[in-house]
Amino acid sequence: MRSTEIDRRTFLALCGAATLWPAGAAAGEAGEALFLGARLNGGAFEAAVIDAAGRDRLVLPLEARGHSFAIDAPRRRAVAFARSPGRFAVAFSIDGGNEPVAFAPPPERHFYGHGVFTPDGRLLLATENDYAGERGVTGLYDTTDGYRRIGEFATGGIGPHEVILLRDGRTLCVANGGILTHPDYERVKLNLPTMKPSLAYVDSETGDLLEQVDLAPELHQLSIRHLVLDGRGLVWFGAQYQGEDGARPPLVGRHRRGRKIELFAGPQATLKALDNYVGSVSTDLAGDIVATSSPRGGIAVFWDAATGACLGERVLKDGCGLAPLGARRLLETSGRGAIVRTGPDGGTESIRREAPDAPAWDNHLRRI
Amino acid sequence: MHARIFLCIIALVLAAPIAARAEEAIAPDIGVRVVRDYVSPTLRAFSQTSGRLKGTLDDLCRDPSPSALEAARIAFAETVGNWGHVSVLRFGPLAEGNRFERVFFWPDPRGVTLRQVQGLLGSKDALPADIAAESVALQGLPALDYVLFGTGAEKLGAAGGDERRCRYGAAVAGNVAGIAEALIGAWGEGTAFHAAFTAPAADRDPYRSVGEVAAEIVKAAGTALQFTRNAELLPALGDAPQKANGRRAPFWRSRQSFAFAAAQLDGVKQLVEAAGFVEGPSDTVNGYGRGVVFDVGHARDALLAVAGKPEEAFAEEEDRARIAYAAVAMEGAKHMLNGELSGALGLVMGFNALDGD
Repeated sequence: MRSTEIDRRTFLALCGAATLWPAGAAAGEAGEALFLGARLNGGAFEAAVIDAAGRDRLVLPLEARGHSFAIDAPRRRAVAFARSPGRFAVAFSIDGGNEPVAFAPPPERHFYGHGVFTPDGRLLLATENDYAGERGVTGLYDTTDGYRRIGEFATGGIGPHEVILLRDGRTLCVANGGILTHPDYERVKLNLPTMKPSLAYVDSETGDLLEQVDLAPELHQLSIRHLVLDGRGLVWFGAQYQGEDGARPPLVGRHRRGRKIELFAGPQATLKALDNYVGSVSTDLAGDIVATSSPRGGIAVFWDAATGACLGERVLKDGCGLAPLGARRLLETSGRGAIVRTGPDGGTESIRREAPDAPAWDNHLRRI
Repeated sequence: MHARIFLCIIALVLAAPIAARAEEAIAPDIGVRVVRDYVSPTLRAFSQTSGRLKGTLDDLCRDPSPSALEAARIAFAETVGNWGHVSVLRFGPLAEGNRFERVFFWPDPRGVTLRQVQGLLGSKDALPADIAAESVALQGLPALDYVLFGTGAEKLGAAGGDERRCRYGAAVAGNVAGIAEALIGAWGEGTAFHAAFTAPAADRDPYRSVGEVAAEIVKAAGTALQFTRNAELLPALGDAPQKANGRRAPFWRSRQSFAFAAAQLDGVKQLVEAAGFVEGPSDTVNGYGRGVVFDVGHARDALLAVAGKPEEAFAEEEDRARIAYAAVAMEGAKHMLNGELSGALGLVMGFNALDGD
C-alpha cells in the first residue's frame, strides 16, 4: 500500500483490508449491476460494493465515516472520500485486484465527500474547503502518480459539496452549498445570514468559471448540495434549507446552461414531508425519473425529468442512498440497514429489511 | 471522571427494555410545560435585563461617570447570562430572521465583529439610523462586549465620555432588547408557532405530534451542548497549553466566557427538566434524563470553578483541566441525550439525517 500524507489510522484501516476481501473479489459478470456505498457496520466504517440483491461483493475498511465516491467504471476503480470535514481518501479497485492507495488533501484543505474522475481516468477532482481562504476549490489529483495533488480550481463559491461532470466530459458542475465551515468548529455553520449558494460550471481543463447561477435573494439560505444529470443532460439538484423552521421552499431544481434555475415544489404535503432536507439525488437508469431522498422525512420523492411533475413518494425510514436500477426503478439504502427497490410505479420491494445489527448505510449509493 | 463513571452505571442499571410506546414516554403536555417552565420565564428575564441594559447605556450617554459605566457593565453581564439561557432555544422564533446571529454572531474566527465595530467607531460618518439593518456582527452582544470592555472603553465613564461609542452601544442594546421583545411575541399565545408547539396536530406546522415537539427539544439541547463545547470552548483550549488562546472564546473582554457557557449548560439542564425527561411519565427516560442532568451539572460547576480570567485560564494547567473535564462531561451528556434518552422517548435520530451531508 502506498500513501501520501495520510495518518496512521488510514494505514491501519487499510492493512486490514485484504483479509476482508472475498476470494475472487467483486469482479461480477460483465455488465452486472454493482453498487457502492459507505456504511457503519458493527462499529466499523466501511466502503462496500454490493450487487442488486444486496449481497456484499467487496468490503473496504475506512478509518472513519465515509461519504460518497468517484467512480472510474472503465478502469474498474473508485475513490472513497471521507465525510466532511474529513481528510482521507482511498482509491481502490472495484474488483479487488490492486492494493488500495490512500491520499489526503494538503494541510489547509479538507474534503467535502464528493469527487469525479475525468473520462480519460488521468485526473481525479474532489470538492474541498479552503477554510483559511473561505472559498471552495476542486483539488486535482494525478491518478497516474499515486494520486499526487497537482493543483486546484476555485469553485466560485463557499462550501462546494457535490461535483459532477457534464456529458461533454470536460465541464464540471459544482453545487456550492454556500455554508461556511471551519474544522476548528467542526460542522458549525458560520455564515447563515450571508450564505449565497450557487451552481457553478467550471472547465476541468483550464479551471475557468464558465457560468454561475444563483437562486433568488429570498432563497439565499437554500443550500444546493446534491446533483445528477438526467437523460437529456440537464442538471438536477437537491437542496437543504437553512432558514426558519416554518418556511417550506422548494428543495428540488433543474438547470439548463444559459437559463435560470427552475424549482419544483411538488404537492404541499410532500414538500412538508421532505422536512427541508434532500440528502441524495439520483435518476432511474434511463434518466427519465429523478429521485430525491429525505432521511429526515423518511421518504423518497420521484419527479418526471421532462416536465418536473412530482410522480409520488415512497416511505423508507432514514432512507437516503439512491442509485439507478432499471427503467423507473432505483435501489435505495437506509441508515437502518434496509435495502429496497423503489420507484414511482408499484410498491417498494424489500431486499434487506432494517435490523439493529444491519449495516447503517450512509447518504449515498452509487451505481458502478 | 465522575461523568464517565455515572454513564457506565446508568447503562448497566437501565439496560431494561425501552418504553414500549413513545406516547407513554413523553408527557402529553410537553410543549405546555416547556413554555410555562422554561421558555416564558427565560424570555421574560432576557427582556428585562436587556431593557435594563439599554437604560443603563442611555444613562451613561447622558451623564458619563465611572459608576454609570459600571452599572452598564453589570447589566451587560446579566444580559449575557440570560442570553445563555435563551440561546438554548435555537429553533422556531430564534431561528427566524437570523435572530440568533443578530444577538450573538458566533463563532467569529476571522474577527469580523472587531473589524466592523472598530471601523464604525473610527468612522466620521453618522451612526447608522437603524442598527437592525446593519451587518449582524454589528448588532449584538459580542459587539457590545467590545464597546463596554474593549480598548478605549474606559473613556465612556470619563468626564465628557465618548458620545459616538456610547450612542452606538445604546443602539445595540436597544436592538437586543427589541429582539427579546420580538421573541416573546413570537412565542406568545395566539401565534401559529405557539399553537403547534403546545398542541401539535396533523394540520399544524411545524409540529404534528408530541413526538416531534420532544425531538425538537432533544435536538435543541444537544445542539446547545455541541455549540458550547465545539464553538466556544474547544477553539480557545487548543490541543496543548501553548496553543491555547482565550481570545477565541466569546465575551473574553468582559470576562464572562465561563459564566456564559455555564448559563448555557444551566439552560440545557432546565430545558431537559421542564420537558419531563427527569420526572416524567417514563422511569426509563427519567433515568437517562438524570444522567444527562448529572453530566451537564458537573460540566457547569467545573466551568464556574475556573479561577483565572478567560485570556489566561485556557492556558493554565488547573483551569485547563476544569475546562477539559467540562468538555468531556458535555460530550457524554450529548451522547446520552441523542442515544439512550432519544431511544427511550421513541425517537430515532437517523444515521443519515444529520445536518449538512
